[in-house]
Amino acid sequence: MARKRIYLLSMTILAGLLIGWVVSQVALAMTPPDVNPQKPTKDMYFRLVTHGGDDPFWAVVHKGMLDAAKELGCKADIDLCGGDLALQQKRFKEAVAMRPDGIALVINDDTAWDKAVADALAAGINVIGMNNDDTKHDAGNARLCYIGQSERRAGLMVATRLFEKAKKLGWNLTKAHVAMPVEVPGAMYGVVRSQGIQDAMKEYGITSFEIIDAGGLESSTVESRETSYLLAHPETKFMIGLGGIVTDRVTDSLKAAGYKPGEIIGGGFDCAPGTLTGLKEGYMEATIDQQQYLQGYLGVFVLYLMKKYGFAPNIDTGGYLVDKATLARVVEELSPLHIR
Amino acid sequence: MGYMPKFFSYRAANTLLVFVGLILFFSFFTPRHVFVDPRNITSLSKLMPDLGIVALGVGMLMICGEFDLSVSSVLPLCAFIFISLLKANISPFFALGIALGSGALLGFLNGIITVKGRIPSFITTLGTMMFWRGILYVGSHMWPIGLRAYLPSGSVFERIFVGKIGGVIPVQIVWFVAFGAVLGIILHLHKFGNWIYATGDNREAARAMGINTDRVKIICFMIVGVLCAFVGILQLLRMETFACTQGIGFELKAIAASVVGGTFLMGGIGSMMGIFLGAITIQILENGLILMRVPVFGISAFIGLAIILFVILNTYIEKRRAR
Repeated sequence: MARKRIYLLSMTILAGLLIGWVVSQVALAMTPPDVNPQKPTKDMYFRLVTHGGDDPFWAVVHKGMLDAAKELGCKADIDLCGGDLALQQKRFKEAVAMRPDGIALVINDDTAWDKAVADALAAGINVIGMNNDDTKHDAGNARLCYIGQSERRAGLMVATRLFEKAKKLGWNLTKAHVAMPVEVPGAMYGVVRSQGIQDAMKEYGITSFEIIDAGGLESSTVESRETSYLLAHPETKFMIGLGGIVTDRVTDSLKAAGYKPGEIIGGGFDCAPGTLTGLKEGYMEATIDQQQYLQGYLGVFVLYLMKKYGFAPNIDTGGYLVDKATLARVVEELSPLHIR
Repeated sequence: MGYMPKFFSYRAANTLLVFVGLILFFSFFTPRHVFVDPRNITSLSKLMPDLGIVALGVGMLMICGEFDLSVSSVLPLCAFIFISLLKANISPFFALGIALGSGALLGFLNGIITVKGRIPSFITTLGTMMFWRGILYVGSHMWPIGLRAYLPSGSVFERIFVGKIGGVIPVQIVWFVAFGAVLGIILHLHKFGNWIYATGDNREAARAMGINTDRVKIICFMIVGVLCAFVGILQLLRMETFACTQGIGFELKAIAASVVGGTFLMGGIGSMMGIFLGAITIQILENGLILMRVPVFGISAFIGLAIILFVILNTYIEKRRAR
């Protein structure tokens, strides 16, 4: 009898916990934005909490944020945590404690941000994702919406462009090797982009690839490692940088390894000066411009509209393929303005 | 004394042996002997001096008993000063002088804060590393600045620093050797070198001998600052753009190179030849391992292991020498 009671009690507790968990998840997923149409715009304050670092990419995001804040007449700040997840979590907590009118967060980990975002939303602070999202999107994180590029689709796009060129040249792609240098091994942007590239590899029957630890953000180290890799792996037919700095160094590495334009097809992400030179000279076939200015600009605008009217739109800023033909028209005119 | 004991009495002997051993090993065992391929040698000659020149100064400062963690911020800050002056239509040679002077000034500040404030240089330069990087961000907004708008390609100035001798040998390697030779002469043949060793070995004893140890340390900090400024400009000219990521991570790599070269963290022990070889060895090790097709994800583990082994070896040799 006593055993039966214990069994029933245990089952009741378990059922209670299960129901509680489900209800809380549903409740979190349905957390509405905090809306206050009466609040004057000049009193609004927004914060961008990012894993970004000291590189030109984030300078453009920063400019987008400042431009939006200036146009709206509100205040906004950005945290750049240099890839340090623990520091980013600390900054997020500090931002929540400041009780801003909204936070745009780079969700660069599938689990680390789940509770933090849910807690912030429960505290009445609007949190949106930017630049990086949970791989399961709103099913994985309670953030109210996401502004940024679909990294996997971007990887697929640039790789497809490179492989299609090789196919037109008559290369035997089944024997091709793809090298993918990355600044920070294991960082989510690199992982998801490489998955997109692997999606394209499957379509073209390519099986051989390697993700290369390029040694961080310092250009000499990146160039040295990329050059050494190219010399050691003559079977390499494609070098696709997974980040802006590693893509920037691909052209000089190909030159140092003695390759002529087109012998190895280069590509990657962002529009750093070395990448643009590579596009002009034919070492690079294409690069993805994720239009990061929009991430900073729209990040502030969406948080503003969310606070004012409750809008929560998902916006894909990325997937803009820059090649030799579009280079001058799109990038070179806007790069000096630090918009692309 | 026989040849062998005499050879091993040199502080850089073990580094030299490992250096030669690595070169022979990689020359024979890299696939297609690609280590000695002219493309690889040219690439190494072009890229190694970036860290190497900084390491020469950092190693000398370590012999003096101090550290400089601010190199990774002083380097891009001086490069930014240089390109800002070019933007203002200042002659590149004059801009170079001001940038090098700025490096010396930043080194002077590190030195004066350390010796007059009696603050460990580890803390001083940790602070200035963060401070100058913050100033750099504010000043540059982290935006890259292309060189070509302000300095034409193939100019005399550019060829002096990043040209190729005979169209083959990168000038950077000549600068590296020249700095190594000059600092080696100062450290080993000039009385200032003796002051550095004395200051690093036993500061109080050095003072008792009449050496102005504060001045010695400040000058060593200034040398590091000037070398950082030089490398910042060298990198900027090579990449044809200013990037605020220049020099990131150099602070610890330069210390690692010096340690591999037999420099003691406590000061007073080390040699310029050792630092020179250490700076090359640590980079050859990375290059050779990649050429050996070791998975690039594992490279850092090998380099970390090498640093620990070098420290153990150097400590052992120094203990034997003390007996």
